[in-house]
Amino acid sequence: MAGWADSGAGCQNGLMAEGQGRGGGARRVDASMSLLADLFAGDALDSGYAAAARARPNKTGTMRRRRGVGLAGVSAMLALTGLLAAVAGLQVRRHEPAAVKERHRLIAEIRDRTATSDALERRLAAVRKETERARAAALARSAAGRRARQNLARAADAAAATERTGPGLTVTVDDAPSGATAEGGDGTDGANGTADSGLVYDQDLQILVNGLWGAGATAIAVNGRRLTSTTAIRAAGDAILVDYRPLSPPYEVTALGGDRLRDAFDRSAAGEHFRTLEDQFGIRVDEHEARATLLPAAAPPRLRYAREETRR
Amino acid sequence: MIPLIGLVIGVGLGLVLQPTVPLWLEPYLPIAIVAALDAMFGGLRAKLDGIFDDRVFVVSFLGNTIVAALIVFLGDQLGVGSQLSTGVVVVLGIRIFSNVAAIRRKLFRA
Repeated sequence: MAGWADSGAGCQNGLMAEGQGRGGGARRVDASMSLLADLFAGDALDSGYAAAARARPNKTGTMRRRRGVGLAGVSAMLALTGLLAAVAGLQVRRHEPAAVKERHRLIAEIRDRTATSDALERRLAAVRKETERARAAALARSAAGRRARQNLARAADAAAATERTGPGLTVTVDDAPSGATAEGGDGTDGANGTADSGLVYDQDLQILVNGLWGAGATAIAVNGRRLTSTTAIRAAGDAILVDYRPLSPPYEVTALGGDRLRDAFDRSAAGEHFRTLEDQFGIRVDEHEARATLLPAAAPPRLRYAREETRR
Repeated sequence: MIPLIGLVIGVGLGLVLQPTVPLWLEPYLPIAIVAALDAMFGGLRAKLDGIFDDRVFVVSFLGNTIVAALIVFLGDQLGVGSQLSTGVVVVLGIRIFSNVAAIRRKLFRA
């Protein structure tokens, strides 16, 4: 508070002194604090110029020459401005492509690694098939072996470790086309139709798959990936992961089952759920049956507790 | 005319030499440039008003540039660097705008 009063008094003194000195041009008390007022008054010129102009007539030409810095100084300052601007512009240009390059490199690496992993998986499948054949040949030699082979085949079938063919039902679900949520439904969607309300969630796929199991499916694959009893369907960000591999829409869920599979699914709660999704959010659902469908074998299960005995 | 040539020479030098900016200076460079632009347009307006003074120009140029960078530096130390640089850019931006508007009025009488 004391500081305030002091500065006020100082200003008043200054005003009186100025008034006496130049006779007029009353100064505002808050002149030193009127930054925004000055800005919006449009009087944005550095007051130094005006002051210098006022002071000029009092001084002689030679005086001013001596005190000024001349054309060279002005040119040097402008050169400095240009230099700074050019350097800053270059700096920005130089940094921008680095980020883009990094992004492209990462994308390329992801594609590369995915391709490598796919190739390894294919090789694994080939090798497994060979092992299977060798094992079958070895087991076929004795009666006990043949029994073991039958048990093995049943177990492998239940664990989705073998290919399966048969009549199947394919349910294709896809995100709503963008903008369809507004016109789809009966107008109530406008209120809750957020940007991602037309997307298929991992939960929807879970409901679909469980509904198909419930309707009597004997084997299911999602986008060509066979589901086992422990396969996870989850979400990571916007992507749906099946067996920890990201899928992109449309999601094609293929189920093997009898002729009644479709009817049973349509009558189930899952079928109802998808009809609702279709009506309310514009999610596209398409079912079609095929006489002969081939489902690939699932990736081999990882051993969690059992361990291979190390030979000594 | 000669000062304009100076500006062109500066840009040319920057493009040809391509000096690397030290990392600690990087956040202050854009602010310093905005301040320099402000001083430049202020000088141009004063020139058109007929009250240009080279000494005022040089001093205000150096002063504005350094003070603008210092304010941002201070803000960085206090943890409000980006907000303060926004403030500086807004204030200087308004000044540049009104100076350019004055120059436009002078030149085109509109």
